[in-house]
Amino acid sequence: MDLIWDGVTEALRLIFSGNGYVYEVTFTSLLVSGSATLIALVLGLGIASFLAFRAPPGRTLALSAFNAGMALPPVAVGLLVSIMLWRTGPLGQLHLLYSRTAIVIAQAVIATPVVAALSTAALQGLNPNLRLQVLALGASRWQAALLLFREARLSLLAAGMAGFGAAISEVGATIMVGGNIKGSTRTLTSAIVLEVQQGDFETAIALSFILLAVILGIITVFTMLQQRRPPA
Amino acid sequence: MWRRLPALGVIVASLALLASSCGGDHNELILGATTSVQDSGLLDEIVRSFEGVTDYHVKPSVGGSGEVLEKARRGELDVVMTHSPADEDKFIADGEGLDRRPVMQNFFLVAGPEADPADVRDAVTVSEAFKRISDSRSIFISRGDRSGTNVRELSIWGEAGITPQGQSWYQESSTGQGQNLIVASDKDAYTLVDSSTFTVFEKKVALRALLTDTANPNIYTVIRVASNKHDNVNSAGAIAFAEFVTSPAGQCVIADFGMEEYDKSLFQPVGRCPSANVGG
Repeated sequence: MDLIWDGVTEALRLIFSGNGYVYEVTFTSLLVSGSATLIALVLGLGIASFLAFRAPPGRTLALSAFNAGMALPPVAVGLLVSIMLWRTGPLGQLHLLYSRTAIVIAQAVIATPVVAALSTAALQGLNPNLRLQVLALGASRWQAALLLFREARLSLLAAGMAGFGAAISEVGATIMVGGNIKGSTRTLTSAIVLEVQQGDFETAIALSFILLAVILGIITVFTMLQQRRPPA
Repeated sequence: MWRRLPALGVIVASLALLASSCGGDHNELILGATTSVQDSGLLDEIVRSFEGVTDYHVKPSVGGSGEVLEKARRGELDVVMTHSPADEDKFIADGEGLDRRPVMQNFFLVAGPEADPADVRDAVTVSEAFKRISDSRSIFISRGDRSGTNVRELSIWGEAGITPQGQSWYQESSTGQGQNLIVASDKDAYTLVDSSTFTVFEKKVALRALLTDTANPNIYTVIRVASNKHDNVNSAGAIAFAEFVTSPAGQCVIADFGMEEYDKSLFQPVGRCPSANVGG
């Protein structure tokens, strides 16, 4: 138990002493997981709009796939993305393996089904007549979609936060495709794994607290956005 | 369908932007290294020093010697640093690797609980120590992952004429070198470990170094992946790295590593370091 208390004080020390390494891995985590979440949002909202508004044939099947995708094992995603990005793999010419981009791809693959599944549920929860009404009043399909997004923003923000949470807390695929390279692909999570492997539990716990604080901070900002009264 | 085009355009453009900003690095050198080199912290140090004197960007791919050599056979690595002599012999005999050069060494040791129920301390050789562990049915934690340490461990069981697999006292943890020590410590068990990792973990585990195998040093070698087998191997970079780690500058990085924190070199360089503050 002493270790956990030492970890907290060490975390505060690392943050306030301006430790470059800690800021660097935190920055990498935010950059990589932020990009992955943005991609997941674009793809996920697109998929959700298509499934919810267009009701294509086979929608239940597709939805089952995305719902199951929320439990996509990161280690399997990491392995598949690695093999695709291997020099001898189909995308080898891009030289992306062991780069931040590779981590963004893997995390986006993990976060997209989360955003897609939760957003579809959110949009399906709206009154179906609303869209028809808006379209009848002369809105374009884009305007209608934006209006419905705004209507469902509480749930959509929750979907985005879930996607971000899946991305930033991920470590298996991150190490596999990123290589845990100091100064480039070392994120908060992969740094924690390395510290544990090196037996430096105090630093590992300190980094864990920093990761939790970062997640808490970001999610709080988005929750405040979510809970804000809508502009009339 | 066409109405969705702008959205698709945004996605493709953002992906392309990301890809162009980070990818296409032709100065990259992919180095396969084993967990003991990373867990000790030496890998970061070697990479930093090498990048300081060349234009190459090193991308380390870390795993057990078995995993590293398998990736190298697939042409995924440019140069490897491993410690598994028999696997390396086969790797070179198969024409997959060339130009093997020894870099540094440490020793394997049997670590176990202070009480030493199997009396490993009184053994003369490691195979005798293993025999005592088996006879007393004391718990032994194996890496079980085809790493260099695991390969050495299995060959010692072979020398001792014992088949440990399937015995209730023989457990496979399948983790990295440092984690394996922690598992063994928690279970009051015996294990085989390299001396560098043991030094790093000595204060964190309740295990003692009971018997060191000084007769058979654990030698880490650097091997270039054969470029005639795979077109995209970075030969020039591999040569530069092999030259660097075996040069006096590289050997000094190794000799100095650990002096500050442990008052001794964690790995002994095989060559000379002119500044010669080598201890331990």
